[in-house]
Amino acid sequence: MLNTSVAQAVIDHALSLGADFAELFVERSQTNLVSTLSSHVQSVQSGIDFGVGVRLVYGNKVLYGYTNRAEQAELKGIVSKLAAKDRRDPRASLTNFDYRRVEDKHAATRILSVDPEVDNKVAFLLATDKAARAASNMISQTRGSCSQVEQRIELFNSEGLHTGDVRNYTRAFLVAIASDGSEQATGSWNDGGLMGWELIERMNSEAAGKEASRQALVNLSAKPCPSGRMPVVLGNGFGGVIFHEACGHLLETTSVAKKASVFHDKLGEMIANPVVNAVDDGTLHKERGSINIDDEGLDTQRTQLIKEGKLTSFLVDRIGAQQTGYARTGSGRRESYKYAPASRMRNTFIEPGTSELDEMIGSMDRGIYAAHMGGGSVQPGTGEFNFAVTEGYYVEKGKILYPVKAATLISTGPKVLKEISMVGRDFALASGTCGSVSGSIPTTVGQATLKVDDILVGGNA
Amino acid sequence: MTHQQHASQILEQVKAAGATGDLIIDQGRSLSLKAREGALEEYKVSSSQVLGLRVIKDGKVGTAYSEATDSEALKSLVEQALLNASFAAVDGHESILANAVKLHTEDALLCPAEDIAIDEQIDFALTLERSLATRSKVKNVPYNGVQDNTGERHIFSSAGLSAYSKSRMCAAYAYALVEEGEKNAMDGVGQAARLFRDLDLSQIVEQTHENCLGLLDGTPVASGHYDVIFDAETQVQLFQTFAMMFSGKSAKDGVNPMREKVGQLIADSRLNVFDKPQNSLGFGYALFDSEGTQTQSTPLIVDGHLSTLIHNSATASFFEINTTGHATRGPKSTMGVALHQLEIGKGQTQVKELLKGEYLLLTDLTGLHSGANAISGNFSFGASGYLCEHGERVRAVRGITVAGNFYEMLRKIALIGDQQFWNWEKSALMPHIRFEDIAISG
Repeated sequence: MLNTSVAQAVIDHALSLGADFAELFVERSQTNLVSTLSSHVQSVQSGIDFGVGVRLVYGNKVLYGYTNRAEQAELKGIVSKLAAKDRRDPRASLTNFDYRRVEDKHAATRILSVDPEVDNKVAFLLATDKAARAASNMISQTRGSCSQVEQRIELFNSEGLHTGDVRNYTRAFLVAIASDGSEQATGSWNDGGLMGWELIERMNSEAAGKEASRQALVNLSAKPCPSGRMPVVLGNGFGGVIFHEACGHLLETTSVAKKASVFHDKLGEMIANPVVNAVDDGTLHKERGSINIDDEGLDTQRTQLIKEGKLTSFLVDRIGAQQTGYARTGSGRRESYKYAPASRMRNTFIEPGTSELDEMIGSMDRGIYAAHMGGGSVQPGTGEFNFAVTEGYYVEKGKILYPVKAATLISTGPKVLKEISMVGRDFALASGTCGSVSGSIPTTVGQATLKVDDILVGGNA
Repeated sequence: MTHQQHASQILEQVKAAGATGDLIIDQGRSLSLKAREGALEEYKVSSSQVLGLRVIKDGKVGTAYSEATDSEALKSLVEQALLNASFAAVDGHESILANAVKLHTEDALLCPAEDIAIDEQIDFALTLERSLATRSKVKNVPYNGVQDNTGERHIFSSAGLSAYSKSRMCAAYAYALVEEGEKNAMDGVGQAARLFRDLDLSQIVEQTHENCLGLLDGTPVASGHYDVIFDAETQVQLFQTFAMMFSGKSAKDGVNPMREKVGQLIADSRLNVFDKPQNSLGFGYALFDSEGTQTQSTPLIVDGHLSTLIHNSATASFFEINTTGHATRGPKSTMGVALHQLEIGKGQTQVKELLKGEYLLLTDLTGLHSGANAISGNFSFGASGYLCEHGERVRAVRGITVAGNFYEMLRKIALIGDQQFWNWEKSALMPHIRFEDIAISG
């Protein structure tokens, strides 16, 4: 995408200004989004994102710029502007780039640049709408979408690296709205992966529509949630978002290096109940958080974060490695050329255990079964987090009694890790998008159903 | 090639295909600085441009965008938009307005000239971080930054519209982590101004430090129902979270619970809410919306009655009324509606009366994006702040949740203060409101 001689001239220019490290990240992404509202197409949108990100490193200082223009003069101009206050004696010029071909372990078969398959996406979404409405006449509306992105990246750096990759992301969503005339409630379904429209081969429109409807109808009948401290059983799959937010972000060197994480000095220490084993794995086949190489050109890997309760690794990017001394883990990621890379999660999950759901529910005198979780947020410095429950049930004396609405779970990462007392066998992954310092990136979260012995539940009963 | 020439070329192709259309060109320049332990940790500059085309052919709407501006990309832009339109359902309401006006914002108002050296901005970033880091109990200042952003927008249409705006926003913020023994707390504040020299470094440092120390000893309060006052930041966040209640588009789509309530009493009769896009003291200032319609002040809630929803020309056509000048569209998005600059009218209550007795002052809400359902109005957020009595902070409160139904809360207003405050981003202007009987879990 970028002429090699232009890349070499720009990087040589950075080295002539004394930069310790220089990197160009070139991106051209094609996007397509099909949206439906109930039984008709609401919109079809498409576009091209194009730009070049320029990163210079002087010591621990990161200088970053980007532009939509790939001409040599423009890129050199950005380098000069960035280096203006840090200019040092010149470093040796780059002799040449060593092109490294990346094996695509997640090759897509139905890619956007060949055929956006809008007709097929519309047919799938309209079928989900039909299935959702067929489930109940209380389903008043559905909103569906299929998004597909073909991201082409190319990297050049002052260590002679020249490499590139193509990433295909496809995702489908359905939201069903149930109404009883006075109140409305929502339910949702989604699926996605590091793949093209072959995603359709594993999706079932009937099941998707029914699942979104089921959730909406459950929520329509939900009662206000009791509040206070109590045990909570977290459902499998997207329940893993709690570990992602409350613990995963605290293990990224982005916060560890700044000592802005409560875990920054806990490597090798017991930070969780011994039943907890946690992993961040960028290699899982075609999962949404997988990558061949990270956005710094390093092969990705599987990183064991917690082993039997003990903190075994952080997630480390180039700058994090430089600042902390830990080895890079292939976790340098960014949303686009508009962001400098940072240490970020990929597919993050708690490994399965040996408990059963009935056993967990049966062990609760008064608590909540959070079957499906929504989003949340965390403050890395203190570890405080909050999460919304999108499908929850009140449990008393070991029995599920009734669905609850507007429930929020509040605790801190360090506390909740120690309060996980049972982990089930029903492991599942769920796709998501994670927003942080280097933008919004595709990720996957996961876990088996697990029990947290004590957590603050916010409700309005 | 100039933007005008790009636009002419693109819109000529649109017309030649038997369609109408409009083109948005957004350009931006930005500087972002972050400091860590006395040195610059991030120095980021950017220059960006994106073109977004909307076409309407045979009643069908299609959009496409491009960040690349080579001739191939621009040709593809038109082709893609027309192709996308071919898949859409016929929309009898969306159209390109017959609006051949020329509009231009005043640079002196929104983008005043300032001769500021990069060295001064770097010094500001470094001093901000160092000043806080050396304060008592501050462990570090992990999140801090200084920004200087200038954005420009052009809108051209096949009907002859030519609208242009340019604005600048300088901002600074700092979040500090304080520790004492096993206790810790993190908080921060930000500030925004059109001129960099108007940013007040010492105010950010003092306020951040005070907020952090104030929360250090925070513990939950007992679960129960409390009178609650949200501070200037959290109250704006709360209203913005449920801003869909004013959306004509959500009403058209059947998901706005206020759709049938225009003219009805939906809130305490002392509540008056407006959208005031032409208040240039705020950063929500807008001379025109994304269709080129000139903006105006819009009363939304008058004496507790829902006065109107906000509309673009398509939603207005659907409801057979006039647009309220609230069309919103980015180059990469389809046409929607959005508020420009929310304002709540002053009440009658003086501060002493407003802060009488016991109440919770909430200074931080978490989970706003996930803990709220704008359709039902139900919410449950993490919160922190202070338990207060007669205006005095009795103790800090952390680890609690505040839950309820926003639409019911609008009827649970006890008092409305007689002074208005901007939030730090200056996107909304509101008095403090005292809500009663709000569920708190601790």
